[in-house]
Amino acid sequence: MNTSPNNALAIIDARIQSAPIANWLGVSAVRDEAGLLYRLSFAEHHIGNPVIRALHGGVIAAFLEFSAQGELAAQLDKDVRLSTINFSIDYLTSSRPQDMEARVRIARLGRRVAFLEAFGWQSAPDRPVAEARICIRVGSEH
Amino acid sequence: MTNMHSQKPPADRLSSKPVGAEINPAIGAMLKSAHDLLTHEHSLFRSLGLKPVLIGRGKAAFALDAPIAFAGCDGDVHGGLMTIVMDSIFGLTVFTALDEVKPIATINLRTDYINKADVGTRIICSCECIEIRNDIAHVSGRITTEEHDRLLVSGAGTFMVGVRSAKKGSRL
Repeated sequence: MNTSPNNALAIIDARIQSAPIANWLGVSAVRDEAGLLYRLSFAEHHIGNPVIRALHGGVIAAFLEFSAQGELAAQLDKDVRLSTINFSIDYLTSSRPQDMEARVRIARLGRRVAFLEAFGWQSAPDRPVAEARICIRVGSEH
Repeated sequence: MTNMHSQKPPADRLSSKPVGAEINPAIGAMLKSAHDLLTHEHSLFRSLGLKPVLIGRGKAAFALDAPIAFAGCDGDVHGGLMTIVMDSIFGLTVFTALDEVKPIATINLRTDYINKADVGTRIICSCECIEIRNDIAHVSGRITTEEHDRLLVSGAGTFMVGVRSAKKGSRL
């Protein structure tokens, strides 16, 4: 079940290549000693409110959902259909017009359902901008 | 869409005005200028191509053709588009319920994905501001296909009304 580090990154890169929304979001991933690290590369179309110039809340949500799906796909290391069942996000502090990084934790990977947590930050990992919980159906036509 | 009209909330909600009552003129003017800005100058909203279907006090519905730029790995529309659309229309719905122009900030969002949609499908996002109390606006909404009224997403959210904007990080 455990994916080798290089293979995990290859799986996520393949997902990024095949999903137009990953390109729109500007998602990339690297692996460091703590695991997989995801990045949203800032672009002007990520701005929600032009007056305060913060990232759109939905853009942050989309980035964390895509990252969580990638983390799970890499963990499974096989071609399984994944469908998000539901997604919930708390916006803890304001965002700025710059890159965002994220990490994902798999809270539980069951046979049919996986529970994940994702958090995204801009200035420091201990100061998250948003935290999300994602529940994903594993391996069927949802 | 039709479900939203049938359930009229008690008149004491939404600053003493029922859902569907007339929008405060100042808010209406703000929405008009916001609409002009978002559809012509704002890159995110221009790429979404949101078209207003209904705007009333405490409710709003917009249509769009799910753009190919928001497809996921399987070729279907990615859930990320749904949260982007829903957060946008939720925020707008809160504005329609206000008596005066105030900044708002999303506290949280929840989306349940019921069905998937093909790229290019015309979808309708319909939202309602359920209540504003203690500066917290509660909203709920749904995204359906226009053609068969097929439920794609059910969502809920809360917003802070009247954001302190002076210091960074003090939005709530």
